[in-house]
Amino acid sequence: MSLTVDGIEAPAEGTLLDAVLAAGIGLPHLCTDDNLAAIGACRTCLVEADGRIVAACSAPASQFHQVATRGAVVERIRRGVLELTAAMVSPGSLDRPGGPHAGELAAALASHSARLDRYPHRTRTRSDATNTFFSFHEEACILCGRCVAACQELQHIGAIGMAGRGGATRVTPGADATFADSICTSCGSCVAACPTPALSPREAFAP
Amino acid sequence: MDLPSAARSGLLPALVEAHTRCGAIDASEAGRIAAGLRMPAALAWEAASSFPDFERETARGAEPVCVGPACLAAGAIAGPGQVAVECQHRCFEAPAAGEDAPFPESAIRLAGPLLAPEDTDWRGLDAARASGRDGVLAGLERSGLRGRGGAYFPVASKWSAALARERPLALVVNAEEGEPGVYKDRALLCRRPRRFVEGLAIAIEALAPAVTVIFLNGRAQGAMESMRSALESHGDILPAAPRVVRGGGGYVLGEETTMLNAIEGRKPVPRVRPPFPVESGLWGMPTVVNNVETIASLAVIFREGAAAFRARGTAAAPGTRLLSVSGAVARPGVYEVEMGVTIARVLEMAGGPAARPIVAALAGGPSGGFLPESTFGTPLLPGQLHATGAALGAGGLLFLDSPAAVRKTALYLAEFNAAESCGKCTPCREGAPRAHEMLASGNKAGLEDLLEVMAVASLCGLGQMAPGPIRSALHFWPELFA
Ligand code: SF4
Ligand code: SF4
Ligand code: FES
Repeated sequence: MSLTVDGIEAPAEGTLLDAVLAAGIGLPHLCTDDNLAAIGACRTCLVEADGRIVAACSAPASQFHQVATRGAVVERIRRGVLELTAAMVSPGSLDRPGGPHAGELAAALASHSARLDRYPHRTRTRSDATNTFFSFHEEACILCGRCVAACQELQHIGAIGMAGRGGATRVTPGADATFADSICTSCGSCVAACPTPALSPREAFAP
Repeated sequence: MDLPSAARSGLLPALVEAHTRCGAIDASEAGRIAAGLRMPAALAWEAASSFPDFERETARGAEPVCVGPACLAAGAIAGPGQVAVECQHRCFEAPAAGEDAPFPESAIRLAGPLLAPEDTDWRGLDAARASGRDGVLAGLERSGLRGRGGAYFPVASKWSAALARERPLALVVNAEEGEPGVYKDRALLCRRPRRFVEGLAIAIEALAPAVTVIFLNGRAQGAMESMRSALESHGDILPAAPRVVRGGGGYVLGEETTMLNAIEGRKPVPRVRPPFPVESGLWGMPTVVNNVETIASLAVIFREGAAAFRARGTAAAPGTRLLSVSGAVARPGVYEVEMGVTIARVLEMAGGPAARPIVAALAGGPSGGFLPESTFGTPLLPGQLHATGAALGAGGLLFLDSPAAVRKTALYLAEFNAAESCGKCTPCREGAPRAHEMLASGNKAGLEDLLEVMAVASLCGLGQMAPGPIRSALHFWPELFA
């Protein structure tokens, strides 16, 4: 059974996202971290697979044959999702230094020529600087869930969660607490996972 | 069998208990509950803060007034000393006020085999027992029963897929019924609970689940009491008492993986698929999730035989199904109709217009769409009834008698979907509120692009189908939103 991505032969193992990346093709995947199971929240990894548009991060490669990351429709929809994502972050907040993956959102927006002002901005503005090693600035957070999954699933700590629902959803330590007042061990996994500068090392510790 | 991960699955029951005892659950209460269950506070809080009912005080003094779609169309507004609440699932007596009340027999307007008076023997169950697991699966296959929750997946295929894993499996009954305008599961549980229990016994007989959970809407108190008493009086036909879990509200809770997360004590948001619940669902077990009406249909199928079941409805969609008919008709209520009946026929059965002529029907609620009177020849079948959104879904039909009511309902549904977005995925969380704003302001430039993004890119059905009411209203009544 053969799998091609944009005409390039690719291994039909793991997810379609694995296959796309193995073929050397770039594709945004803002809520997928190498170390974590698919979350399916950001919806920026859409590809056209055998005529259907699917999220590559959560589609098994073995079930498809022809995958296209390019194409008018799939690119338009990916750009649309990215433009909605851009409306979550305040202008300029993506230029701040951050963790090892902090540039992922900015790169995805640039590669899709996404308009940053397509939709009226709706940003959240809380900050939390109570941790000695890192700080959290909500104005750059896109609610991808990587930090929460890293804390809960990878480290088995559970210091942070996604509190609230709908437009009121926010990354929250403890039961509406601060990082300092939570059971956070300062392991830094959340900072390492974040695709924006929302969770960033304090200046003294910045890479 | 002992439930795995017992501490965490104690969370939702503990939250429901705390809410009943002391009203709205705040962060400190969630923290105390977490400590009691020895789980991290963040995990308890992310779940607790995601159920809309827990944010509210349990009504003290103020009388609840429903402002759901049927009551809104009937002119409901909350006056002094009253509090506006979401659909109370009593659309058959709109405008509805007061607490949840048991579903009245008088609102069963048309009964078929599902809503016929209850039986006094267990012939359906006896027949299923006599034919064994393979016989039940074969009978189910012959009947062609498709899930009545709204997705219409063939029930025999779902069961076979779960059984094929050859691992201990879970059976979850979806009794959440949180869709505004739908109240037929409440009708079954309140008026024909014995039929539901017989269907449940048949499902348990065939699936031999290691765990059986009934997930019941947190506000459906009448249905709860009726079901509990039926489970108690007929407990002898069930090998073990099913675990009953109450929810804390939220339309997305009806989405099956969200429900599984809620039962496990996790934040109620959808999971990615695959894995599908039949592969890995509740606590990773192969899981069958069936709606109340689907379960009750089992009793009918094994009592009457698959051929008799098939004799009603169409070849591709056999049997009868329950419609929740509301709005400007003479006799709103539950109608048991054959699949494939036209909307015009339903309108006729419901006694026609209550006063003014009907101009539109909303089919499928917030995940469906509007149809103009000129299309009422459309048969009610699984899948979309119109490309702009209308769908049979869970069988909710709201009849409207003016273009103004169409506009009001469309705006209500756009706002409802925005409010009910769970917040997990970007297209729905960010898109739905903006789509509502664009529709309300009449500034529709780029709206169709946005609706396309929501429909194609959203993670679950809520976001994927939220464009339906907007698209259909704009398609048939563009002048209302200029
Ligand atoms: S803080 Fe970063 S990793 Fe966490 S949800 Fe926000 S953007 Fe994602
Ligand atoms: S479509 Fe809406 S309800 Fe469904 S996962 Fe996304 S945000 Fe949640
Ligand atoms: S990477 Fe696939 S949805 Fe985020």
